[in-house]
Amino acid sequence: MEEGLTEEPVAKTRISGRIDGPLLCGQLCRAHVRAMLGIAAAILAVCICSARAQADSGPATIGELKQLNVEDLMNVEVTSVARHPEKLLHAASAIQVITQEDIRRSGATSIPEALRLADNLEVAQKNSHDWDISARGFNTALANKLLVMIDGRTVYSPLFSGVFWDVQDYLLEDIDRIEVISGPGGALWGANAVNGVINIITKSAKDTQGLYADAGGGSQPKDFTGVRYGGEIGSGTQFRIYGKYFDRGDEVLANGSPESDAWHQGQGGFRIDSQASAQDRLTLQGDMYDGREDVQTGGITDTSGANVLGRWTRTLSDDSNLSLQSYIDQTHRSIPETPLMLDGLAFTPAGTFYDDLITYDVDFQHQFQLDPRDRVVWGLGFRRTEDAVINAPSVGFLPAVLDQSLYSAFVQDEFTLHKDLSFTLGTKLEHNAFTGFEYEPDARLSWSLSSNQALWAAVSRAVRTPSLIDRDLSEGTPPYLALLEGSSNFTSETLLAYELGYRAQLGSKFTTSVSTFYNQYNDVRSTSFTPATIVPLYFANNLEGDTYGTEFSGNYQVSNDWSLHAGYTLLRENLRVKPGGYDLNDALNETADPKHQFSLRSSLNLLGRAEFDAALRWVDTLLTNNGATPGTVPSYFELNTRLAWHASDRLEISVVGQNLLHPYHVEYGFPDPTRVEIQRSVYGKLAWRY
Amino acid sequence: MAVLRRALQALLCGTLVMMLCLRTACGAEAPTEYQVKAVFVYNFSHFVEWPPQAFAAADAPFVIGILGGDPFGAHLDEAVHGEQIGQHPLLVRRFHSIDEIGDCQILYIDRAASAQLPQILAAQAHRGTLTVSDFDGAAEHGVMIQFATENNRIRLRINVEAARAAGLTISSKLLRPADIVGTRTKD
Repeated sequence: MEEGLTEEPVAKTRISGRIDGPLLCGQLCRAHVRAMLGIAAAILAVCICSARAQADSGPATIGELKQLNVEDLMNVEVTSVARHPEKLLHAASAIQVITQEDIRRSGATSIPEALRLADNLEVAQKNSHDWDISARGFNTALANKLLVMIDGRTVYSPLFSGVFWDVQDYLLEDIDRIEVISGPGGALWGANAVNGVINIITKSAKDTQGLYADAGGGSQPKDFTGVRYGGEIGSGTQFRIYGKYFDRGDEVLANGSPESDAWHQGQGGFRIDSQASAQDRLTLQGDMYDGREDVQTGGITDTSGANVLGRWTRTLSDDSNLSLQSYIDQTHRSIPETPLMLDGLAFTPAGTFYDDLITYDVDFQHQFQLDPRDRVVWGLGFRRTEDAVINAPSVGFLPAVLDQSLYSAFVQDEFTLHKDLSFTLGTKLEHNAFTGFEYEPDARLSWSLSSNQALWAAVSRAVRTPSLIDRDLSEGTPPYLALLEGSSNFTSETLLAYELGYRAQLGSKFTTSVSTFYNQYNDVRSTSFTPATIVPLYFANNLEGDTYGTEFSGNYQVSNDWSLHAGYTLLRENLRVKPGGYDLNDALNETADPKHQFSLRSSLNLLGRAEFDAALRWVDTLLTNNGATPGTVPSYFELNTRLAWHASDRLEISVVGQNLLHPYHVEYGFPDPTRVEIQRSVYGKLAWRY
Repeated sequence: MAVLRRALQALLCGTLVMMLCLRTACGAEAPTEYQVKAVFVYNFSHFVEWPPQAFAAADAPFVIGILGGDPFGAHLDEAVHGEQIGQHPLLVRRFHSIDEIGDCQILYIDRAASAQLPQILAAQAHRGTLTVSDFDGAAEHGVMIQFATENNRIRLRINVEAARAAGLTISSKLLRPADIVGTRTKD
């Protein structure tokens, strides 16, 4: 994000191109990658897998199950056990769930690394401490179309409607699951749930009783440790407290010399869950963190924050409940800013940008069965954000102090048209300080073809409401001249999305989901200027366009001890400048996305006590257009592996290799000598559960 | 028009993938949760030893009782159909309240009855009944065998003390792969 605030809004690099002479290479040679090829591969994968699933289906009758011994019976995978698999099969959206087991076996050391397990996301690591993450495209340094929540707490920053991924952390062991939805979720979740929603859900305190401790280190992360203790306070009330710390070393530049981006961060927190009565559940949780990040241009980014959240859930009957949730979240970040340079001349001096944000949020939700075929969920929400910045000469926000209120209400009705066909209609209505009322309706149809297959279709509207960057940014703050500014005319970006999906459990061993989408965007951010003065450039809503694509994922359980996973996404984006409009970047600035991505993972249990996991991923070439000339990030293959041995029921020893195929590789950024590359790394870990 | 063509192309491709899936989706279905649990309950009759006084007569039926709602449907009946343990024919009976519980060797306590757990356990304490359930924390509260679900698989959590107190001996074949838990003393 350090680069984000200064580099991406075009000004420095792009403007130097403009002032030096005519825009270079305005007509980017956009080679048509053969989409059909990718789709053919996906079809082939489905055919092969389905054929296999048919060839050896698991036991299905009571008679067959009775032939199994106790151990084998315990290894039979069942459907409709937990809420998720069943829900998942009939969920009318492109949802993928990353389980705790997936996270543990991936060897991920952070939430962004764990998110690589979702086939429907793009994850690009920019340096030791920064990532860009998006769904269905628009993955720029200021990616702003994803809503991210941790236990119901929204974590995107109103500064740029994006997420500071470095400070979204947790003891990974205590994460229950991460739900990743690609596609709009505005009707339920509101503004910013445009291209996707990520829900990080931690375990209940009841499920984290006892002591857990881990420690390890290697080339990256250099060292880390985490401890959690969970106990019971009284009958029906459990708690946990945890702490963690890690230290990451520098990555490298393209020429192999060390970059200055080392990072260390500590976080601690607690969670208390209480079954206050047969109907009432109470949750109180909180976290705090503190981190320091070296940045390329010298200096240190300081991050700190704390949050506390309370939730009361009351079960009114078997099919009716209500919940009331409230949180306070405070974040602090100070970022050293470099001088704004134009043709080698310092336009503004260096300085430090400080941001302090406090968020207060209250959320109420009630669901009930209106009649046996009609299920209603509705809710009300209020959020107040108090943001205060201290501007640096090169970048800042005006006004420096901004308090805003967001009011929202939503209602969703799911009715069963026929026993296999259900229709969901809902909308959110929000009022925000910048654009007033926004509405985000959504209609979904779900058709159960059988107990193990479902088709779904959806049409939804979502909006990306203006962030502070769009409205209040000033690159060059008084008394210095502004080169780029936000605009008070900047309005919401809108999306109309059409989706179609299929999900199935084929036999006992194969599950798959396929979703396709066609998205129409309007009023997407562009950069304009007034011909008479040229500077300051300002943000406008001059882009429109459409994107389409397919997401495929499949799991195949080869045997009790071996499972395989494959994922593939196809994405095509056609953004253009609206007739009569203008964009300094020729509509190329918002989309640094791979047209194809695929992943293959294997998860193997060995000799009852060991585990071997491998994950191969391939990411297509990215076009990064926020420079003077369009550049690329080359396509790459990378491989992660993990070998673990359960020395006893309590002790797990593992060795993890990340990005093993190259000494270093680049995942994001404009091709210049300062672009950071991610190194091959190996670390060891001991985990102890008592 | 180019846009429209591309959108159609995407939808067409997606549909093609789906149709292929539909065509091949005729493999055997995976067992459901309660199919597997029914077979477990049936297996318990083999892997637990009851004292002779647990039966009214040498050829009295071996009764598997279900208290509360019945999550098994016909699966449990199917699992025990035609089976017997020694001289005792296996039988499934459904109880709707504590008072209805007669002699039974295995009692499955449905979630719906979990609120009355202390009374149920007290009533069965000296009758040599193996108690089984699947709600969270059941084993800690004195139920002898609790089903727990991890990664879509059924695990057993066994409260050995509780079984021993009722005079039941659980085979090591069940104990080995199970998680052993103790009764949590409560105030």
